[in-house]
Amino acid sequence: MKRRGGDWPLVLPLALFFAVFVFAPLALLGAVSLYSDATLSRLGVAQYVKFLTDGFNLGVLGQTLWLGLLATILALVIGYPLAYMYMVAPVALQRVLMLVIVLPLLTSAVVRTFAWVVILGRQGIVNGLLAAIGLIDAPVRLLYTPWAVVVALAQIQLPLMALPVITALGNIDPNLRHASYALGAGRWRTFFAITLPLSAPGLLAGCLLVYAGSVSAFVTQTLVGGGQLMLMPQYMFQQAIQANNYPFAAAVAMILLVAVLAIVIVVNIVTRKTQALVHG
Amino acid sequence: MTTRGVALELDRISHRFGHTVAVDGVSLRIEPGEIVALLGPSGCGKTTLLRIVSGLLRQSGGHVTVDGDIVDDLPPNERGAGIVFQNYALFPHMTVEANVGYGLRARGIARAEIAKTVERMLALVRMGGFARRMPRQLSGGQQQRVALARTLAVSPRVLLLDEPFGALDKNLRLDMQIEVKRLQRELDITTIMVTHDQEEALSLADRVAVMNHGRVEQFGRPDDIYDRPATLFVATFVGTTSVLRGKLLEDGTLYGTAGRLPLGATARRPTGPIVVAVRPEHFRFVGDVEPGLDGRIELVLPLGPLVVYDVVASDGTTLKVTSPRGAAARMPGDRVRVALAPGTVVPVFEA
Repeated sequence: MKRRGGDWPLVLPLALFFAVFVFAPLALLGAVSLYSDATLSRLGVAQYVKFLTDGFNLGVLGQTLWLGLLATILALVIGYPLAYMYMVAPVALQRVLMLVIVLPLLTSAVVRTFAWVVILGRQGIVNGLLAAIGLIDAPVRLLYTPWAVVVALAQIQLPLMALPVITALGNIDPNLRHASYALGAGRWRTFFAITLPLSAPGLLAGCLLVYAGSVSAFVTQTLVGGGQLMLMPQYMFQQAIQANNYPFAAAVAMILLVAVLAIVIVVNIVTRKTQALVHG
Repeated sequence: MTTRGVALELDRISHRFGHTVAVDGVSLRIEPGEIVALLGPSGCGKTTLLRIVSGLLRQSGGHVTVDGDIVDDLPPNERGAGIVFQNYALFPHMTVEANVGYGLRARGIARAEIAKTVERMLALVRMGGFARRMPRQLSGGQQQRVALARTLAVSPRVLLLDEPFGALDKNLRLDMQIEVKRLQRELDITTIMVTHDQEEALSLADRVAVMNHGRVEQFGRPDDIYDRPATLFVATFVGTTSVLRGKLLEDGTLYGTAGRLPLGATARRPTGPIVVAVRPEHFRFVGDVEPGLDGRIELVLPLGPLVVYDVVASDGTTLKVTSPRGAAARMPGDRVRVALAPGTVVPVFEA
């Protein structure tokens, strides 16, 4: 179809929405972060200097990005086989699997997070089970650990990994697999030489979504991680609401935004390269 | 290349998808070095049959025999079947070279050996200068050459081609048909190709198996298929035919709702209800005194040396008639009488 110049007003509502509710607040955030004191009287980059020169602050950033990476890897390790299983399943089973995959998206993040609190708590299901079969005498601390956050994040973000991978796997011509078998390759060689590289665009897209979602997941990080585990979203909340230090909270937000954007850009470049390879 | 053709035998092959019978008791014996076309409309089971021979699909019943050995339990590579897919299925993320060497790498052959074989294969299909290209940088015909090289690199004993020319435009198709025939003769490799294009089947294959509803309707040389169709389906699917129904009378005349048509030299059959299939070139226009079918010309289609006429008989049956150009030109609406050309033998089937 020929693209006509007259269609551009169609994007106006969305553009307006973005301008008012995304770009304007973002600009405001950036402006606030450029005040050197909590009362917003002096302009300067003191908040950034403060953040970037303090080991504690850098530790929070590092921990946030690290947990995000671990959650992404875990989601990939669980989500990719799940997506693969979906692709090879008979149609009747596919419907059931799809429901299971998207079900987490249909419940709120708070509900899903509370489920993990129930599962991992001192009187939770896991501790109860371990005690019942006599493996432990006293409850083990599972909740409020970094691992709990990683597992909960991976589970909650799983659909965002599985769905792009399913799409990518579905786009691979089944004859490529058949050609590989017919040429004498086994299942593993076919998977690693054909299926995996050709699903790379979906895999990277999934990783990106899960990663971006994980590093900014305030509810899960706070409820499952507890007070001891300080991560960026919670740090912002604490600085803004409890310490009333809006400029510093804004600077924390900007730094997280830049850190995530940098990763998104790098992954996007890689994705575009793999897409060129896959789709020609 | 020292490939030597092997015999391939299909023994009462059947296949079911759920309750649908895709292939229904097909038996074919294919001679060493022969090229056989499976010809039929879509859904006739020809592609299913090819997949069964390749080993990508396990049949519900019957046996596949290659060079005297039953290969039903063997995967594609071990039974020595190489398949070229309709869309070529080149690996898009690998160079031409890597594509052609894929099967050799899967067999764990030494790298130097692979490089040599790849070079020889690319030379064989005349793609020597394209080793480092990606598949997307190649035209359809070039992609097909690479797909052939990739399949031939592992020295299959049987070559299977799934609608090999379907994705090519008309000019290229003829080139590639000649190319495939050359390779097939050069390597003396037993070949089965699946096609719905009758011209392709009749021109390329040594023998043609016409399939319909999962069964082989006729298996024979192209001339036999065209001139002596075994069933009404073969007669109507291959080439152009006009189908006439009626009763065969004692004097060898077809008596139907369209009128009387003397069948002349056609072999006498028991009288009774019959169906005849007549090629356009077997009809001719006759004068009012001779017996024939009366009709009106509906459409005139000049095709170079021949003119095709659509004649509608009195009962609405459409007859396709060709006659040489230059003979008294007829116009749409003209009343004509049509009879069989002298000496014509038309296939007669019991109704």
